[in-house]
Amino acid sequence: MFDLLPHILNGLTLGLLFALIALGFMLIVGLMEQINLAHGSLFALGAYFAMQLMGPRPPFPADLAQSWLALPLGWRYAATLILAPAAVGVVGIAIEFCMRRTYGKDPLYGLLLTFGAAMVIEEMIRLTWGTRDYVLQVPQAVNGGFIFGDLIWSTYRFYAAGIAVAVIGLVWLLIEKTSFGATVKAGAHDSEIVRALGINLTRLRLLVFVFGTMLAAIAGIIVAPIWGIRPHMGVDAVIPAFLVIVLGGVGSFWGAVVAGLLVGLAVGLSGAYASEWSLLSMYVLLVAVVTFRARGLWGKKSVLEA
Amino acid sequence: MKRREISRRSVLQGSLMASFLAGTASYFGPWKENRVWAQGAAKPIKLGLTCDASGQYGNSGQDDLRGIQMAIDEANTKGGVLGRKITWITADTETTPATGSRLAERFITREDCTILIGAVHSGVANAITQVAAKNGVIYLNTNSSAPSEAGENCSRIKFVWDGNGTNFSKASVANAVNSIGKNWMLLTNDYVWGHTTSAATKAQVEAAGGKVVDNLLVPQNTRDFTAYLLKIQQAKPDVVATAIGGDDIKALREQVAQLKLDGKPAWINNQQDWPDVWGSPDSLFGVFGTTWYHKLALPGVADFVKKWQATNKEGSIPVPGNVSYNGYMATRELLRAIERAGSTNNVKIIKELENLKVSATDRMQHFDAYMDPVTHQMQQTIYLARRNPKPADKTDLYEIISWTEPKAVADTDAQAKCKLVPYEQIPTVDS
Amino acid sequence: MIPTPQSNSARLITPTMLVLWLVLATVPLWIGRAGLYPYLGIEILIWSLYALAFNLVLGTAGLPSFGHGAYFGIGAYAFGLCQFNVVANLWVCLAAAFAVAGLAGALVALFISHRRGIYYAFMTIAFGQIFWTLAIKSHKVTGGEDGLLKIARLPADFGFASFDLAGNVAFYYFVLMVFGIAVIALWRLVHSPYGRVIAAIKQSEIRAAHLGYNVWLYKASIFALSAAVSGFAGGLFAMAQLAAFPDVMSLHQSGYVVMMTLVGGGLVSFWGPVIGVFLFLIARDVIGAMTNAWMLYFGLLFIAVVLFRPEGVAGAVMAAWQNRSLNSMRKQGGTALRLLVGGGRWR
Repeated sequence: MFDLLPHILNGLTLGLLFALIALGFMLIVGLMEQINLAHGSLFALGAYFAMQLMGPRPPFPADLAQSWLALPLGWRYAATLILAPAAVGVVGIAIEFCMRRTYGKDPLYGLLLTFGAAMVIEEMIRLTWGTRDYVLQVPQAVNGGFIFGDLIWSTYRFYAAGIAVAVIGLVWLLIEKTSFGATVKAGAHDSEIVRALGINLTRLRLLVFVFGTMLAAIAGIIVAPIWGIRPHMGVDAVIPAFLVIVLGGVGSFWGAVVAGLLVGLAVGLSGAYASEWSLLSMYVLLVAVVTFRARGLWGKKSVLEA
Repeated sequence: MKRREISRRSVLQGSLMASFLAGTASYFGPWKENRVWAQGAAKPIKLGLTCDASGQYGNSGQDDLRGIQMAIDEANTKGGVLGRKITWITADTETTPATGSRLAERFITREDCTILIGAVHSGVANAITQVAAKNGVIYLNTNSSAPSEAGENCSRIKFVWDGNGTNFSKASVANAVNSIGKNWMLLTNDYVWGHTTSAATKAQVEAAGGKVVDNLLVPQNTRDFTAYLLKIQQAKPDVVATAIGGDDIKALREQVAQLKLDGKPAWINNQQDWPDVWGSPDSLFGVFGTTWYHKLALPGVADFVKKWQATNKEGSIPVPGNVSYNGYMATRELLRAIERAGSTNNVKIIKELENLKVSATDRMQHFDAYMDPVTHQMQQTIYLARRNPKPADKTDLYEIISWTEPKAVADTDAQAKCKLVPYEQIPTVDS
Repeated sequence: MIPTPQSNSARLITPTMLVLWLVLATVPLWIGRAGLYPYLGIEILIWSLYALAFNLVLGTAGLPSFGHGAYFGIGAYAFGLCQFNVVANLWVCLAAAFAVAGLAGALVALFISHRRGIYYAFMTIAFGQIFWTLAIKSHKVTGGEDGLLKIARLPADFGFASFDLAGNVAFYYFVLMVFGIAVIALWRLVHSPYGRVIAAIKQSEIRAAHLGYNVWLYKASIFALSAAVSGFAGGLFAMAQLAAFPDVMSLHQSGYVVMMTLVGGGLVSFWGPVIGVFLFLIARDVIGAMTNAWMLYFGLLFIAVVLFRPEGVAGAVMAAWQNRSLNSMRKQGGTALRLLVGGGRWR
């Protein structure tokens, strides 16, 4: 039993990371009923922007770069956590402007459009930064390991899981407890009423989409020190994100979070006791659930399945 | 070929339209070139370079390409081979076998290439080999280190230039069992290369009196190794030997470095490729193998590095590593073999390469190297290295701790597995 | 509905088919002069067949399947393994490729046919990933990432005469012959009563169910059939490549066939997938020879098609051909797209 505990703990932290990776994807699916397949590429872009900001050649004019580099690592990291997602948000605006043409039509338009965007972004990354790997520096405080129960644990992993909890909590508060969230939710389901109330629906959708892309970027920055940074890293993120949403059910916030945790536990536990099957376990889990439950765990009726 | 280079650079500058036009020009380029030499005297010898530029091995593939180009440039400055110029063409094999097949077909039937060079991924190498063998075209597998390449998947037209998993296990295991400990744990990528490499390690461990306590199979594309690292800590082995490749080893490296798990237990990694190491130098851990290092204290190495740097100023990798080195050596020896054979007839070149012997000085390694005529694998010095605690400069990442002569690490089982077709069965190719 | 004049859909062989075959039959004569090479022709024909099979599910039945590469790959392995372990006979092994992939498709259909939209789509992805992983894992059978090598192009024995297919041109004509037969079969299938029920299910599952059709059975059978024909194409691909590799089964490669089908206009036209394959493979070969960033251009093209030409190339061509306004075609493309995920709800 004591052998099992570390693996459950590991599965839970891993699950929180999966939930974090899926968060931006979920927001766009849940509130806009659009599947953003560029999610993985935006995730990668977040990591690349952060790496550029944290690296020896920040993308600033010379004197600003000087003072930026003079800042302590921790400060730069904190600022990067805001600047890099903001920069990715700008890319998100560009995608949303294209996507606008597809609103009111079928969501498959958006899916295909973002699939194309994903290809373009990945190729752009390759052209800009080359094919080599990069490493994202993190502050000493969250690096290294600590000993707990005779085992060495990664500090960064618990930090990452903590960030995941915080971000998930904040997003939930934003959607459920603010008037902005209420408007957005109404807008997704009944655009007529929202418009009648005099709310600018176009801007609302733009905000949601950009928010979703920024969450993708944050996930990329948090996960990069564990996975490493390379042009095709987005594919490693978008498939689990998609899977978590489908498993949790479209339109269900907590469904996605629980699905993330379940996937983490499945991968973590099978990693320890049936290691060769660990990656397959998430697909088996999905097949097992969706075979019996039409809309994943707690999915709502949505135009995405009719 | 220069025109193609220009087109790629203009893409980099972001001018999409310009590059598209330049690219269109280059597409029609070879036609003009063909007409030129049809009227001229000596027809050039054309090589097809099948190097990955995207996908999992895109980075290594381009480093391979740099070494190959260097050898070609050297030959051309000396006036070519047999008085003929060497020309080349390359395209992205995408780390995808189907693309490898198609490009091999394209290079052979459309571009009239008579020799193909370049590989990192064994599947792509095999796909190209199938097409090359059908046409009798010689193919140099520069950098795929799967033991099966010179074993069951060997071919009369294919020559393998990298050390393989078995070579590296032989160089490292016996020594480590005696000096570090007898309880071993294996971490194996769950695909062919991982399995064959770990099998070789297991045999070596047991032969030296050690014991393999567990073998954890890691699925390909694993990004999170925490479960395995916990399991290793729970089992407390003396040594962990990994056969993890591709992007997976990079992720593992990051995670071991974060935990500072390097040291207890001791880690033995199989070959580490320089293009992968250069991306994350701070996370090198354990003992690992290589075939060459740019700071070997041997004559010629420093000159070679300088020449390489002179032609690759803008590259993302500042010094040549084992991948570029293998690409260079393979191409150089091929061109020399053509010169020695006095002919571009494929069978004559194959026979020259089968009897290839290269002196240690010429190889810039510690021991003489030779081609095994039965398996077509280059038998060469195997180095073991670890992270350099006192680097002389920022590229000085390795500390070389041993070198083993080719005979001592030869993959002796391969000879029984490899069956080459007789020369008569190869279609004749001449350029 | 499929916008072809009624007279054509009743025919066994249409004028379009005849023209296409005649043009394709001359390909080996001029392809070298066009700057291409026979092997590319082989690959295009095989992928065309694969895309047509895929479009049974996507275009005809309106089911979003994003893991179809699995069946293409399974067919390739089945062909190779049959050749090595059962009997080295072309017809037997191609039949094996068809049957094994069809069985795999039927098995998956059992799990997914009662699902719709995004859940259907992701179930196909999950099964695709499972098959792909198994192909890499069972390397004792498949050769794993090294590939299942030394697959021969078996001679085509017609009883009265036997043809050697080792050369690319001979093999091209064999593939063309098979392609021709398959096109007739698929055309008949789509325009058969069975095909019309499938199209009705695409319009509205509920309406079809009320009319008394067993919707589940139709959805499952068209999926299995599509998988079987994809596997058949995979068997041909194994012969072309002389080997079978797991990579064609990856999600990435499965995405390509979706792109080709949509760009070509598979949602509005029977020939859409073929047009898409021609465009995609030739563009890849030509652009790929001059820049390593060909995916960038293709990605941009793809975005443009989705934004401005949802009816695909086939739709645009047909609009010009039949002298109908582009707008009506676009509406048709839009409708078809909507049906694909909307699963039959008109909005």
